[in-house]
Amino acid sequence: MGDTANLLASVFLDTISYWWVIIPTIFLGLIVGGIPGFSAANTIIILMPLTLSMDLQTGLIFMVSLYSAARMGAGIPAILVNIPGTAGAAATPLDGYPMTRQGRGQQALAITFVSSSLGGLLTTVVALATMPILARVGFYMHSVEMIVVMLFGISLIASIAAQDMLKGLIAGFFGLMIGSIGTDVVYATPRGTMGFLELYDGVPLIPALVGLFAVSEAFIIIEKKVILTDEGQAAMANPSWSATFEGVSIALKRWVHIVWTSLIGLIIGVIPGAGASIASFVAYQQSRTFSKTPELYGTGHPEGLIAPESANNGVTSGTLVPLLVLGIPGGATAAIMLVVMQFHGVSFGPSLFERQPEVGYGMFMAMMVSYLLMILTILPLSRYMSRVTTVPTIYLAPMIISFTLVGAFVPREYMFDMFLALAFGVLGYIARRTGYHVAAILIGVILGPLLETYFLRALKKSQGDMSILFSSNIGNVLWVLLVLSLVLPPILKLKRKRRDRRLATLSGDYQ
Amino acid sequence: MVIPVLAIVFTLYFFSTILNSPWTAQVSAFSLGSLLLLFCVIFVAKTVYQLRRGDGTLSFGNIVSRDDLASGRVGLFLATLGFTLLIDYLGFTLTTFLFLLVSMTILARGRGFMRITLVSALMALGGWAVFILAFDTRFPRGWFETTMKAVLANG
Amino acid sequence: MIRNKHMNRRELLTRGVATTGMVMAAPSILRAESYPSQNINVYIPTREGGGADRNFRAFTSVWKEKLGADFEPGFYPGASGRVGYEVFMGKAEPDAYNLIFGNMGPEVLNWAMKEPNFDINDYVYFGRVDTDPGCAFVGSESKFTSIEEIVEEGKKRVLNVGTSRMAHPASIGILALGEKTGAQFNLIPLSGGKNTIAGAVTGEVDFSVLTSGSVIAAGDSVKTVLVFGENRVGEQLNNAPSINDHYDMQLAEMLSSRAFAIHRKAIEDFPERYEILKSTFKETFDDPKLMEAYVAAKGTPEYLNYGGEEECAEFVKAMLELGAKYKPLLTGA
Repeated sequence: MGDTANLLASVFLDTISYWWVIIPTIFLGLIVGGIPGFSAANTIIILMPLTLSMDLQTGLIFMVSLYSAARMGAGIPAILVNIPGTAGAAATPLDGYPMTRQGRGQQALAITFVSSSLGGLLTTVVALATMPILARVGFYMHSVEMIVVMLFGISLIASIAAQDMLKGLIAGFFGLMIGSIGTDVVYATPRGTMGFLELYDGVPLIPALVGLFAVSEAFIIIEKKVILTDEGQAAMANPSWSATFEGVSIALKRWVHIVWTSLIGLIIGVIPGAGASIASFVAYQQSRTFSKTPELYGTGHPEGLIAPESANNGVTSGTLVPLLVLGIPGGATAAIMLVVMQFHGVSFGPSLFERQPEVGYGMFMAMMVSYLLMILTILPLSRYMSRVTTVPTIYLAPMIISFTLVGAFVPREYMFDMFLALAFGVLGYIARRTGYHVAAILIGVILGPLLETYFLRALKKSQGDMSILFSSNIGNVLWVLLVLSLVLPPILKLKRKRRDRRLATLSGDYQ
Repeated sequence: MVIPVLAIVFTLYFFSTILNSPWTAQVSAFSLGSLLLLFCVIFVAKTVYQLRRGDGTLSFGNIVSRDDLASGRVGLFLATLGFTLLIDYLGFTLTTFLFLLVSMTILARGRGFMRITLVSALMALGGWAVFILAFDTRFPRGWFETTMKAVLANG
Repeated sequence: MIRNKHMNRRELLTRGVATTGMVMAAPSILRAESYPSQNINVYIPTREGGGADRNFRAFTSVWKEKLGADFEPGFYPGASGRVGYEVFMGKAEPDAYNLIFGNMGPEVLNWAMKEPNFDINDYVYFGRVDTDPGCAFVGSESKFTSIEEIVEEGKKRVLNVGTSRMAHPASIGILALGEKTGAQFNLIPLSGGKNTIAGAVTGEVDFSVLTSGSVIAAGDSVKTVLVFGENRVGEQLNNAPSINDHYDMQLAEMLSSRAFAIHRKAIEDFPERYEILKSTFKETFDDPKLMEAYVAAKGTPEYLNYGGEEECAEFVKAMLELGAKYKPLLTGA
């Protein structure tokens, strides 16, 4: 035990001495994370010659800090201009953007930075301490259990749609249907592809995200001079540091919230194949379910911002666990890390920590140091970043369109994807204009294929027997929790109303 | 009304593509699609009922109106369409510059042209420097990129 | 919808970089009149940064010296390789300056499941780079330790078998074993190599089948129990036996096998160019630098395996026949 502690301490100090790698990488990560189409994974691929030329430790630190910074970077445009940089930040604008429009963009950024960093740091420590146990989660979360987890995420559609349930459901299910485009995951039969081979693998996420959020947003914002509301403009007129401190204190006061939502992210992150988008949807939905003020969600409520951001940074540390303990990469970035590290002769598997403990612990330490340095470097910038919102829309809208459309092109490099983004832009614009929530459509597009994959996998295993859905103990517990999380909030609301009424009558008696 | 109608048309089209497919292709799509159809039908019925009572109106007024022409939204849309069509031929940098220039001019109704030109040029060049020079992504290459590459190659 | 986006860059390279390359590689150029006078475009029907990418770079780093022209990869992932082939057959000029670097195993099996929009006889694999047999493996914590135990259990109950996708040579390997032994195997497609390994490790499926190169890369998190071909790497695949030896079968090797292909029309119109491609391809294998490059790219050197037009044609034929035989099981039709 003492040996491990000594090793950890020395690896930690050693990692800090690489600050000259980490700080530039943080800025690179924030930029690529913020541009839809770029991600940590494809940046590492693009920079592969550079990555491979680094020695093992530098390369490892570079990849890990790029990964964590990109995750945080994706939240910035989500908050400031309503454009999530990656699917993992798709729940961030729900409350982040309303805050920005009210002129509280600086606070929102500070809240995000604090909750992301703390969430990331905390989950890294927890992951490090409980690695052997956490790695077992994947052994219990099979397709059946994952179906329920996906339904937790999808139930968010219903919450978003709270104001007009029918329209919300139509938007969500339309998204789910669009998400079903592509070949079925078992027998590869093409469905609904309109003859485009480019849609065989399903609707690519980035063009859908760019179209629904960015392009349609650009067409909406030109109605006004700036994206801020009138009060927002007034609030932004006198920029000061106090807004940043206010954001930090808002986030720190809600530390309990950061803790439990980041743990949701961690747990979902350690399941191979899950990922940041589902984690942030589930965290947002759970946060709302257990909130005393669910009606504030979607209007610029800090907790609605903390939940997805702590959760998706929790995923970042979570994905390292199966990679290091089992040798299974949990997501795209982890898969690329695996390739690069194999190139350096690191062989993965359960015995990694016996053979090369410095590599295993090194990755966690790199993540920890990255988050520490990130909060120090980025927090002072929120004041300047939030100025973006005061840029007149005549400049902002064309810039958003050109750079996000090109971003739609990046992941697959097909011109088709740019046209697709434009088509989604038109769909998103119509939806916004007629009172449908684009976030509900996007949740459907993101989670639809995942849900179907797990569903078909389970059914193929049981050879078509539906009872498999209720065949596992953990699964059944999750089913019960799902039902409770859907049924309890309305009941509680009713109770609260009654109590309020009773209080009102009581106080009436006194008068 | 537009979204539900789009949803109905799309769902029916989707169903038509899986009629003769194995069960794996059908089970999830049929269940989700049927629910979507159900929601849409309820919505349509509700709207028709409201129309009958004279509470609602049915128009495209929300989506396309005269205002759109005046606010430059139609112009911006056409510019965007032009951007996606031309980028393959003119290359990333030049098309981005032209798009920014044209669309900003439309939105600003011709005011501040010099400033717009400067901003567009800076943004396009910045994009070129980051995406093509530094990252070497495969954005469409055009006249500008080829020339710059030749210039850089020859020192 | 797909257009060739490298057109402009290619034109530039034609004039600039390639000419310098040509001058430097003068001997082979003189012999070959004017071919190649420009870079060779290679269509790769998978994602950038994957196994095909690394394999391609290692191989062409040596081949380009023999040929005297560089190779420009273009990645066209999607629809399990279909997109890349459709673009290659539909848009690329059949002038021997355009090649495709595909995988004769799973990609040819695709054609047996559903024919593409072009005639599959219109392109020809002429240069095989490697042969990587599929294998069956269990997670390190599995209760199974050998293929006998698996077959034994499979006779009592239906076993769920993870595979990267239905139409894969390794899937055919395990179905053939089931046919031979009477064990029952239910294939569960887990979408891709890493999920297939994860499925076996976490117990989502009873065991998995996959291309052995990916299994070797998974290290000691898995244990291989059977190879659908020859085990050329011994210990790295836990000395697992070969299916044909172990069960006295005559199954063709179930390979993932990467190879360069060319339009048939290019062979007919430019036979001399085709000869140059073929001969320089073969020369590449005689150069010890190839092995170095392959090892440096972390390939499995034992799998480097030259094959010409005939060997490729033979393998493609076997894949198409087996694909047709197992089509009902693999497509659910």
